[in-house]
Amino acid sequence: MTGAASPDQAVGGLTEMLAGSPPRSDALGFYLHVPFCAARCHYCSFNTAPLEDGALARYLGALHRELDLLAELPWAPRVRIATVFLGGGTPSLLEADQLAAVLDRLRARFDVAADAEVTVECNPESVTRAKLAGYRAAGVTRVSLGVQSLDDAVLPRLGRLHDAGGARAAFAAAREAGVANVSVDLMYGLPGLDVAGFARAVEAVLAWGPEHLSAYGLTLDAGSLWGAAGVAGLPPEDTVVGQYWALARAAARRGLEHYEISNYARPGFRSLHNQVYWRAAEYLAAGPGACGFVGALRYANVKATPRYGEALEAGRLPVDSWEELTPRQRLGERLILGLRTSDGVPRAWLDERLAGDAALARRVGDWRARELLVDAAGRVRLTEAGFLLSDALFVDLL
Amino acid sequence: MTLSRNRNFSIVAHIDHGKSTLADRLLALTGTMDAKKAVDQVLDSMDLERERGITIKAHTVRLLYKARDGEEYTLNLIDTPGHVDFSYEVSRALAACEGALLIVDAAQGIEAQTLANFYLASDANLTIIPVINKIDLPAADVEGTRLAITETLELDGDEALAISAKHGTGVPEVLEAIVARIPPPAGDPDAPLKALVFDSFYDSYQGVVVYVRLKDGRVRPGTRILLMSNGRAYDVQQVGVFSPDMRPVEELSAGQVGYITASMKRVADAKVGETITEALRPTAEPFPGYRDAKPMVFAGLYPIEDTEYEALRDALEKLRLNDPAFSFEPETSLALGYGFRCGFLGLLHMEIVQERLEREFNLSLIVTAPSVRYRILTTAGELLEIENPSKLPTPDRIEQMEEPYVRSSVFVPTEFMTAIYKLAQEKRGEHQSLEYHGKRVHIRFDFPLAEIVVDFYDKLKSISKGYASFDYEFAEFRPSDLVKLDILLNGDPVDALSIIVHRDKAYEKGKALVEKLRAVIPRQLYEVAIQAAIGSRVIARETVKAMGKNVTAKCYGGDITRKRKLLERQKEGKKRMKQVGRVEVPQEAFLSVLKS
Ligand SMILES: Nc1nc2c(ncn2[C@@H]2O[C@H](COP(=O)(O)OP(=O)(O)OP(=O)(O)O)[C@@H](O)[C@H]2O)c(=O)[nH]1
Ligand code: SF4
Ligand SMILES: [Mg+2]
Repeated sequence: MTGAASPDQAVGGLTEMLAGSPPRSDALGFYLHVPFCAARCHYCSFNTAPLEDGALARYLGALHRELDLLAELPWAPRVRIATVFLGGGTPSLLEADQLAAVLDRLRARFDVAADAEVTVECNPESVTRAKLAGYRAAGVTRVSLGVQSLDDAVLPRLGRLHDAGGARAAFAAAREAGVANVSVDLMYGLPGLDVAGFARAVEAVLAWGPEHLSAYGLTLDAGSLWGAAGVAGLPPEDTVVGQYWALARAAARRGLEHYEISNYARPGFRSLHNQVYWRAAEYLAAGPGACGFVGALRYANVKATPRYGEALEAGRLPVDSWEELTPRQRLGERLILGLRTSDGVPRAWLDERLAGDAALARRVGDWRARELLVDAAGRVRLTEAGFLLSDALFVDLL
Repeated sequence: MTLSRNRNFSIVAHIDHGKSTLADRLLALTGTMDAKKAVDQVLDSMDLERERGITIKAHTVRLLYKARDGEEYTLNLIDTPGHVDFSYEVSRALAACEGALLIVDAAQGIEAQTLANFYLASDANLTIIPVINKIDLPAADVEGTRLAITETLELDGDEALAISAKHGTGVPEVLEAIVARIPPPAGDPDAPLKALVFDSFYDSYQGVVVYVRLKDGRVRPGTRILLMSNGRAYDVQQVGVFSPDMRPVEELSAGQVGYITASMKRVADAKVGETITEALRPTAEPFPGYRDAKPMVFAGLYPIEDTEYEALRDALEKLRLNDPAFSFEPETSLALGYGFRCGFLGLLHMEIVQERLEREFNLSLIVTAPSVRYRILTTAGELLEIENPSKLPTPDRIEQMEEPYVRSSVFVPTEFMTAIYKLAQEKRGEHQSLEYHGKRVHIRFDFPLAEIVVDFYDKLKSISKGYASFDYEFAEFRPSDLVKLDILLNGDPVDALSIIVHRDKAYEKGKALVEKLRAVIPRQLYEVAIQAAIGSRVIARETVKAMGKNVTAKCYGGDITRKRKLLERQKEGKKRMKQVGRVEVPQEAFLSVLKS
């Protein structure tokens, strides 16, 4: 079942939907969306907008109210928040005290675990050692730094506001501020970047010694500048595949685990919050366009920040659309999310999906025969070669 | 009821010249249909007819007309299809009539089916009333059309009525002309019943409803009737007329057109052309009968899901009930599994059947490349008829092969002649005759049917900016130098992709086909080699590279629903793929031959 809120829909309707869909688990993730950036990167289709005067304060007011309203859901008192993730946009546009106020409010309203992983996405040009120290004091345990590239010819083409030196300095600042868990984001498949160039960036970043590395192949998403206007100089598929393998090998040499299609971590430093997603586990969400999942309900907030603010000023949860998953959809999601990770899924789940579908079982057999999919200790998982083709399997598994 | 006030007529014309629109006006003028409630082309009652704006089946309706002479006349109108695939419907309709309105579009002039339908009507000895339609169009050339009617058809162009069916101009005169010029039916109501079956359809409540034209005698509920060709007898349940819906009447008598129901279970029980008489007092002479509409084009129909085989068979049986021109027979394919070889009148007919199966019966189908019927004389002296290229015997067993030829007419403005001749040459056409009609020429070619079933008509239209028109009929089988072209995927021949082609065209066709297949077969986990071969000789090759990457980089909280929906949509698309060996082949690949 799916739905969308109409402007005049009874306020209670959506709140009741959420109220009537208690989480199955007591430990939840919590995603907070910060919808502002200093400028829009050319490949970006996220829900973000330029930071205008007064907008940040209005947004923060609304966010606080949203946390209050969510906490009033009947089941809220019995859940515990195990991970928190501030994403965007550019959360590092928040001053340390603003961030602290948000986290304080969250802790005031919800039972946030004392050892919760609290991640903030940061852009190099908007962080300083002092700001990061403030974040840390506010309870942030993990910083995810958007580096994307270390090529000063490539960075401006992406519309990034920092250069390689700035990225490096930001990483050092995080360390100096005492952040013990730092993740770096890189991109590959970028225009003007060959395999060797990317491999150099990977080596350089790994030499900084981050606990975690995310690397995303470029996609031209609808809603991004490049998605609309196109971009010249995209590398051929061979190059992109070469970059994927260069990264996989370099990470392995440095002892990082390739634990999800686009994510690498030193042992013990996988992103706890993101694993919530890939385990098809539950999470709450706040902020414009943020998406949550509780019970069998996936819901999404209103995207436009002004409308988001209006809903909350009117005392309503800003939910825009929701969907109740059928058991079959749940199984499909658990498979296609779980198989994104090197832990894979219990073999029984896959068997359940294959039962009675001989054609699918044959195709899955092909994946095993080609060692794209492997079995171990009662679980199945994709290999690194399998990750690269995973959507071809996921289509069938849904 | 006196026969002198009955008139039975058909409306015939080239496609789109306005037959159904004129029928609308006649229905409205005679009050048969409330003009305000009427939709356009009200007789085109099938969904597909309405969507495509064309008539597929002939439609019968009875009108009551108060003429200017003060008398009330019973007019029986049959609207007919214009498309060449359905010309057999026209001949059936004409057999039930004394007259025909031959419509000619004033802007288009005489076209190929105008001529073909004119011959059908005059061969049936009908009174033909030429009607020039669409005189409201700026490009209408009424005088030129009159001249063309006089010169091209053996009719008096000055007697043609000039009308606008759309606006109603001149339509009252059409009714008067029907009364004045078309003779009343001749026949004896007191003689033994003699009725011609000219159409039928199956209704799940009443069984088969047969359309009849009574020559002599009477029929009413309770009459025990006899079908003369098979000797079966039935008790009539209902007789009636179409006005425009089925309306029971007490009796049908000599000269009238209407329907009979008699609890017949299968349309095949009362074939078109059948003579119906009384069981107790049979007529001496049945009607000469006419040949069945013969399928000319054949294709395999396979369910994408093996489990839908039974459902497909049921659906084919149901469709056949109302479409005797369509045939099917079980066949098996190594690549596609269990399916049916189906026969159609032409490609439009094939498309319509496929569309109805998918739509009305909710089936997902693979249609293989259409083929014609070949005749083979084997070295062992047997004569075979082959409609499925993969069933062709090996060359060493073939003494001689023959393919069907058609006799065709092309009407086209003189400026496009050169282009038409060039196209005809490409299609192995043999020129027969050329006649000038003012600014237009009428060219007759003989073509191998196989060359024109596929994309000939589209090409003809495009090289003539839409002005050329085309008509054809089966002529004969002729010896021909043909070969079987096989397609191999990763070295394995795919029987459903085999085609039979003329030896001179095999290379060109093979190359085009593998290129087309490369474009439509998606990349898979492994490389796919596509080869075209004659016997063991490979004449063309292409490869679909193995998939390099197919991955979603980011999948976090907000991406999950979007991603799942995207994949679900892709999955819908994949439902139209068939697993052939280890290769996933999309549905359209099997029709690639149509577009290459
Ligand atoms: N301008 C104008 N258009 C007309 C006239 N009569 C018919 N048309 C249009 O011509 C098109 C074809 O009309 P139909 O009545 O469907 O033609 P048809 O001969 O029944 O076509 P088929 O049954 O497919 O052979 C429609 O778009 C009509 O609206 C007319 O008198 N004037
Ligand atoms: S910083 Fe991130 S969210 Fe902001 S525009 Fe760039 S990619 Fe998009
Ligand atoms: Mg029509």
